[in-house]
Amino acid sequence: MFELLKQACDTARSEGCQFADARYLAIHKQRVMSRDLALSDCSESDDRGFGVRVLYNGAWGFASSPRYNDAEVSKVVALAMRIARASAMALREGGVKWAPEDALRLDFKSNCAQNPFEVSLEDKADLLISANEVMLKNKAVKRAQGYLLFKRVQRWYVNTEGSELHSDVTSSESVIWAIAVGNDDFQERNWKAPSSNQGFESYKKDEFLVQAERVATQAEEKLSAKLSPEGDFDIVTDSENLSLTIHESVGHATELDRVMGYEVSMAGSSFVTRDKQGEFQYGSDQVTLMADNTLENGLATQGFDDDGVPGQRWEIVKDGIFQTYSSGREFAHYVDEERSRGSCRADHWSSIPIVRIPNLFLMPGKQALSPDELIADIKHGLYFEGMDSFSIDQRRLNFQFGGNGVWEIKNGKKAGMLKAALYQSRTPTFWNACDATCDESYWQPHGVMNCGKGDPMQIAQMTHGAAPTRFRKISIIRGRDS
Amino acid sequence: MNRQQAQDFIADVLATPHPGELQVALSGTHKLGTRFNDCAVSQNILKQQITLTLTARLGQKKASVTLNTIDDKTTIKRAVEQVFNTCRHMPDDEEVMPAMGEVLASKEYAYNADTEALEIETIGAWAAAACKEGAAAGIDLAGLLSLGKNFYGYGDSAGGFAFERYHRTDYHVTATGNNGSGWAEDQGVTIQQDDVAITTRRAIDKCLLAQAPEVYQPRPGTVILEPQAVGDLLMMAFWYGFDQRSRDEGRSAFSNFAKNLGKLSLYSDPANEVFPTISFTADGEALDKTLWLDEGNLQQLLTNRYWAEKNKLEVKPSPNNIILAGEDTPLDELIQGTDDGILVTRFWYIRSTDAKTLGFTGMTRDGIYRIENGKVTRPLVDMRWNESVLRVLNNVVASGKPVATGEFMSMAMPALKVEDFHFTSLSN
Repeated sequence: MFELLKQACDTARSEGCQFADARYLAIHKQRVMSRDLALSDCSESDDRGFGVRVLYNGAWGFASSPRYNDAEVSKVVALAMRIARASAMALREGGVKWAPEDALRLDFKSNCAQNPFEVSLEDKADLLISANEVMLKNKAVKRAQGYLLFKRVQRWYVNTEGSELHSDVTSSESVIWAIAVGNDDFQERNWKAPSSNQGFESYKKDEFLVQAERVATQAEEKLSAKLSPEGDFDIVTDSENLSLTIHESVGHATELDRVMGYEVSMAGSSFVTRDKQGEFQYGSDQVTLMADNTLENGLATQGFDDDGVPGQRWEIVKDGIFQTYSSGREFAHYVDEERSRGSCRADHWSSIPIVRIPNLFLMPGKQALSPDELIADIKHGLYFEGMDSFSIDQRRLNFQFGGNGVWEIKNGKKAGMLKAALYQSRTPTFWNACDATCDESYWQPHGVMNCGKGDPMQIAQMTHGAAPTRFRKISIIRGRDS
Repeated sequence: MNRQQAQDFIADVLATPHPGELQVALSGTHKLGTRFNDCAVSQNILKQQITLTLTARLGQKKASVTLNTIDDKTTIKRAVEQVFNTCRHMPDDEEVMPAMGEVLASKEYAYNADTEALEIETIGAWAAAACKEGAAAGIDLAGLLSLGKNFYGYGDSAGGFAFERYHRTDYHVTATGNNGSGWAEDQGVTIQQDDVAITTRRAIDKCLLAQAPEVYQPRPGTVILEPQAVGDLLMMAFWYGFDQRSRDEGRSAFSNFAKNLGKLSLYSDPANEVFPTISFTADGEALDKTLWLDEGNLQQLLTNRYWAEKNKLEVKPSPNNIILAGEDTPLDELIQGTDDGILVTRFWYIRSTDAKTLGFTGMTRDGIYRIENGKVTRPLVDMRWNESVLRVLNNVVASGKPVATGEFMSMAMPALKVEDFHFTSLSN
């Protein structure tokens, strides 16, 4: 498989390119969806092709094709060269500055004890429909749904520096949800099974059935829940809820390409400007946010990125102070770093790599602390569980998040569920209001499989994680009129 | 690929021996794009791909397979076998419907010969010219100029066939100064050099007007939403709320809904001149003009074939565009008629906050301005809003002429003047 990719790089080098790389991807996906007691969809896809990226006279050219043969490789390299020449019509001063990297030989394979593509459709149907059956036993539940999503990406990468890399990554995701109707309302409650770079072994039927019953009960309870209070309250976020907040308010905010204006036209810029590096009080001293593209089973763990840089671990925020960004080889020089952080990924063989959020998580507290102890210190507050409404401005400052299940906290204990609760804050205000996070025994990872960025849009995946965490005096508003 | 080539290819696939019913969808794209930031080109993109989707039906069982290696007949034959094998293992689903089996004429409302002739060097040159204009004005420009030359073909073993070529062009540009930004777009099925230049100038003018924004304490008030903001909001509302089955099952904002929604009409029409689209669905169902709201009165909701047959309703498939008919009042006149209000260029990151009331939240972005005594007087700091679309539509007091908008859905939307719009927090 490497031979034609090497041929592409050799041709590009002979044409005078400063750098070139070539990637071949074979992407296999399966999605199985359930609706009540039936499967509403089973679709598979097989998608193969290669892309060639050339850096010529300081300008990028990129072209791709699904046809992988001698003649097509030559054609695609020529096209990439033609595009690089077109790009040079409006070149930034000095052109692209490309961080050096040693040649690398690597073969990475994610954990996959049970290949999901070899599990029978009957077993998958049984998992989803059994969960739906449990949810539908609750008379308030009028719709039960779920899906399983499996993806295997085999990737071959070669560049003009002599790197030859291969990865084989299987990812899995599943969600079940119940919609309850009644009390002149309808409410949805869901459970996200672990999404990670693992196979079908992540999914246990017993767990699905237990969660299905809980989800159905809570969907019904939400129908008669009272509307959220408004005002400033102490809040506790569970691991899953905070994972999304980490993603939006830290992950995207610290992508170096955004900071440098490369994403202004769509995803936006960032308030975390370069002058904040090493000084900015991003959060309280409880807040250490670790990037780790070597995290076992992490969705962004794929051995190496699409710049040919191996996965790394680094601190983005340490004890509340902003340290550094996620980057790719084109961007490292902007912060005087000699080497890329290895977080530049493309979602397809026909896509150009862009800086993506790494696996990123809040480090657990160093002192023993349970969720009950965390809540015990709140007189009147709210507990947010799971992901729901989420919105953040393009500079990643003003945000507003909901929870899929929200409870009132009264006198140190979780009380009844609430409807339409949303927390609204500014990124540094929020993270500086963090006064405690539970210890590592309560830390959990949560996957994001649908992170959109780029223009045209690309979809990436990564893992976040946290233990239940407390934030003081956060603004709560209602998403529904009283 | 033209109609005859697609028809021949699909016929070959359908001729592969198979049990039951087979549907074949063939989708091709040739997409060119020039992306730039800081007045310099950062990416030139050329994507070419043809994908083949095979959908098998055996009674009440259905499954599908998609592949992009279509040159090899053996691979396709194997894929046909694979999809029927998967289908056999599917449990029965009473909602599975037979293939359409209809032959549709190629209307090709969204095909444009001028767009077909454009190449990467041409759009690269237009983007480079835009970058030069930004640099001359001392403004950072970032944007994407892209065009897609596409086709979609559909055939089924019940005799159905449909094919159309279509184009899609998208130019959007953000102009950023020292302390404030502006934005403009040109969407549709064709674009010329002048369109790029005019759009670039509009973004720069918006940017110049946006410098040194002031804090406006968020509160409900009169707002003029430009077409992108209207489109982004209505697109979300359409997909969240306009479904007949959800309404019938009590899972919609329109369940037990007896009120009307203001005074405007919302419809879909593949032949719409402002933003035409392909005239059939992915499953080969013909799309005609459909009126969803008639002067605010709810007329139709999306109704798939299963739900229509079960409940004796008219089928209303998902459309490829939505159009909000306005009153053709020029934006300047909307502004002149406003004593105290806010002008919003665009929205960003709209998300549902409450499906029951079609409540959404979102941010303003790249140009929000105070209107005082009929004039735009000063730029404002971006704000978050929380608002129900039902209330927005009921609070429209004036509207403009629909223009093409929408990166993710083809839309024609007017500017709207809306009273009592709820801004709730600041972004500073």
